[in-house]
Amino acid sequence: MNGLFLVDPVMGHAAAASVAVLFLLAALSKLRDIELFHAVLDNYQLLPSALVPVAARVLPTLEFAAGVLLLPLVSRPSGAVLALALLVLVSGAVAVNLRRGRSRIVCGCGDDALPLSAGLLWRNSVVSMVIVVASQSHNFRPTVWLDLLSTLMATLFLLGLYQAANLWLSHQSRFIDLRNAP
Amino acid sequence: MIESLIVSNILLWVAVMALLVAVIALSRQIGILYERIAPMGALMMDTGPKVGEAAPVLDLLSLDGQQISIGAPNQHSTLLFFLSPTCPVCKKLLPILRSVQTTEASWVKLIFASDGEQPEHEAFRRRAMLTDYPYLLSTELGMQWRISKLPYAVLIDERGVVRSKGLVNSREQIESLFTSHDLGVASVQDYIEQTVQARAALSKEST
Repeated sequence: MNGLFLVDPVMGHAAAASVAVLFLLAALSKLRDIELFHAVLDNYQLLPSALVPVAARVLPTLEFAAGVLLLPLVSRPSGAVLALALLVLVSGAVAVNLRRGRSRIVCGCGDDALPLSAGLLWRNSVVSMVIVVASQSHNFRPTVWLDLLSTLMATLFLLGLYQAANLWLSHQSRFIDLRNAP
Repeated sequence: MIESLIVSNILLWVAVMALLVAVIALSRQIGILYERIAPMGALMMDTGPKVGEAAPVLDLLSLDGQQISIGAPNQHSTLLFFLSPTCPVCKKLLPILRSVQTTEASWVKLIFASDGEQPEHEAFRRRAMLTDYPYLLSTELGMQWRISKLPYAVLIDERGVVRSKGLVNSREQIESLFTSHDLGVASVQDYIEQTVQARAALSKEST
């Protein structure tokens, strides 16, 4: 029971569904305002300026694809790999800019304008663990109606937790400013 | 036994969801508190020179070494646009501002303002193709207008009176600055208030 808990169908479905919704929403908010995401990418100062317009379209498209692939069981492993790769890529970009001391630029993670922070990297590492759980689901037991309810509730819970974490991250810089204020 | 487990499971889910909603609500409230108590928070947004009042006069040197006098009577109106090289929304608005400057060139002059390190701003100015416009670097100017959020725009008319000002996030908001200038109102809120008052006066007359 204990060892199988993490690979239970409920865990897998809930993890996959919540990460899929996360990626789809983030991709849509970027695709809706590509010009803005273009400026956000430009701020990271990692790509040559000729590549920025291309990346501003490719990244959200890949993000959208990862979200869609995560939903059906058949394509879930490939969706998980793509999602994990994207997450590692953007976390790397955040880490490079943090090391450069450019923490005042916004991350462009979705609708909320979060400043870059170490907390963002922690958040992404938790999300990547959820992706790993999503890719590990096995159908070794028949599911009943209660599993459906558990999956739905767990998905809502994970999404709500992510929303709350984003709120804390957006407060963090203000909190530090205030704590260091004379 | 199974039935009681199911009942307790559902009950617990309901409780967890209620707690999550409470945590999110509390986090949002904390965000509002931060905004209100921070030294340059939302309460300060409406301070600074008011619409309809004379703008404070400030003589500044632009990055080109040009002498610019903000707020002094001039033959042109001035659109002062506060931006920063790291603000994505500002960059998104630059093409819109350029087109506004071309269509409204007869009466308004666009000036960019920011503060910080000069080399960084010079590089940004070249990259963003803003070399045709005056670019000011002045902490004093930002303090005078109480700029806490970017991008912020201020429209000053040729007599040096503030015609409209505010946080701008989209083309519509930039255009609304000009509309409010044309209509002689400070903001949409003012416009609505004026209309409501006019309606109230009309209905009083008719009764």
